[in-house]
Amino acid sequence: MNAHPYLRAYMAGITVPTMALLLALTVFCIARLGYHVPVPIERLLVFPMAIVPNLFGLWNILYVRVGSGRRLPIGLHGALLPFLVVPLAFTIASSLGFLTFGQEALVLFDALRIPYSRLAVIFPGTVVIYYLVWKHLVGFFNELLGIA
Amino acid sequence: MSEANEKEPRELLKSAFSPMGDAELQRDLWPQALRRLDERAIQAPWFDWALAAGVLAWLLWFPESLPVLLYHM
Repeated sequence: MNAHPYLRAYMAGITVPTMALLLALTVFCIARLGYHVPVPIERLLVFPMAIVPNLFGLWNILYVRVGSGRRLPIGLHGALLPFLVVPLAFTIASSLGFLTFGQEALVLFDALRIPYSRLAVIFPGTVVIYYLVWKHLVGFFNELLGIA
Repeated sequence: MSEANEKEPRELLKSAFSPMGDAELQRDLWPQALRRLDERAIQAPWFDWALAAGVLAWLLWFPESLPVLLYHM
């Protein structure tokens, strides 16, 4: 099965964030409708719905494109993606107005305060999650589609 | 339109479209996907389990991290 490897890489890449989007949307809807957190869902969803799946797909195409001789293990390849995603997410969130930089903390949706000291934990945690997701989920879909 | 007049466009249409005799898939892909799912047991090294436990502990300790995480997943 060697036909269209980049198309299959793209499909394998977008599967996980597309499924995660359902979870994210559920959490944000509960926060918005159940707990009345002022979450602007329509603006919030731009990044996780449109940009993240495409980045996953393109990152997986890059993984396939590099070739088996030179590429990193898929977990490490995926662990590099937050270095692109997180700054992009912060830029878009602040430009859309639901992330503001306070003196001591980030403020999300004018409701959730995250001290800067916590960011030192959040970013490595994100890298670890991406490593696990890419190694075990994206890698699984790559195998299933015959491109691993 | 008479029978004779219909014949010519019908022949033209037949000649324009190639026969569809080979349109069926040569094999069913679903059993193949199921077989691959069955072949793959969970094979994670202890290091990955430790990382997963660490992430779980992190999310329980700092639940406010969850929206941030979901935002870029």
